[in-house]
Amino acid sequence: MSAAPSADFLAALHDYQPLVRRVCRLYCQDADDRQDLFQEIVVQLWRAWPRYVPQPDAKLSTWLYRIALNVAISNLRQRTRRPAVVSVEDEAWHLTQPMEASAYEPEETAALYRAIDRLSDVDKAFVLLYLEDRPYEEMAEILGITQNNVRVKMHRVQEKLRRQLVHK
Amino acid sequence: MELDDLRRQWRQPEPAATPAPLSAADLRQLLARQSDNIVAKLRRNAKVEMAINYALLPLALGMAGLAPVLWVRLFGGSLALTALVCVVYFHRKLGLLRHMSDPAGNLRAYLLRLTTGLRALIRFYYRFTLAMVPLACLLIGVMALTTTKKAVTPTKIWVIGALLAVLCAVIYLLTAHNTKRYLHWLYGQHLDRLEAQLRELDDVPAG
Repeated sequence: MSAAPSADFLAALHDYQPLVRRVCRLYCQDADDRQDLFQEIVVQLWRAWPRYVPQPDAKLSTWLYRIALNVAISNLRQRTRRPAVVSVEDEAWHLTQPMEASAYEPEETAALYRAIDRLSDVDKAFVLLYLEDRPYEEMAEILGITQNNVRVKMHRVQEKLRRQLVHK
Repeated sequence: MELDDLRRQWRQPEPAATPAPLSAADLRQLLARQSDNIVAKLRRNAKVEMAINYALLPLALGMAGLAPVLWVRLFGGSLALTALVCVVYFHRKLGLLRHMSDPAGNLRAYLLRLTTGLRALIRFYYRFTLAMVPLACLLIGVMALTTTKKAVTPTKIWVIGALLAVLCAVIYLLTAHNTKRYLHWLYGQHLDRLEAQLRELDDVPAG
């Protein structure tokens, strides 16, 4: 762990840090847990970086999503903290701050975040990639399942969210 | 509000509370910290344990070759053999952990790799622990026979052998039970969760 990070890794991390932060935001509600996960993802990215081979048909973002999601979902970190103390409502309120002109009330956004938070970690991966505007082809590549499976599962996740919002 | 609506605001600039981008110095500091990932911890522990066994090997061999008392020589020989087995075990364990700790690849492949890796680790540890029980009992038996001041008759050897066999069986059963419980406590929750996630991903929708 002592080698200095290379300039190209730093540049890639600089460009894609918001992506990693968004993954952490979706998987951890507690600020400390989020920072721990961010750290773990960066460490794993750095370890995997020497083996990353740029290919014309493969985007760097796909590789980054894979590692970030693999680390977030497998979650082999030891849980030493108490459960989240920062509510998703607070988080949603923060997120809607720059969106004063949004057609939706913060409460609606908060309800959707609460519904997302109740999903399984695997379902959250579908939500994340959907929010990130990834095409089904790339989602299938990141998750290791067929495009048809992605399409059907995405539909199911949206149904789950709708049901949760109706029954809130 | 639906996901499509949230998508429009999802990638908006982050709130002011979000930390600034990492500098090279921040990153170096971050990378210098030890990971709390279980696989990383297992790798660190396996490296330390392997180093201990490497250090133990010449000492045990020295004891086996130079000790004046028979049982100490036998003890040294067994210790050297155990250390050698441990070194092989930790080499295999490290190889497995190295394979497990590579998070590149798609989610399904990664979860599969972690699940099979964890199962193999548990199997390794369980078999290795149980294999140590008869070896330890044998050592106790040899020590008892070689250190006794009384005359050793064939009957006595049989009696001690039978007692040791019973003791070994009891210890074996207790070790098997406790090791299983310990391993389940240590890895069970992770294995169950990873397997459930894999099933969730593999669940092919009908139609």
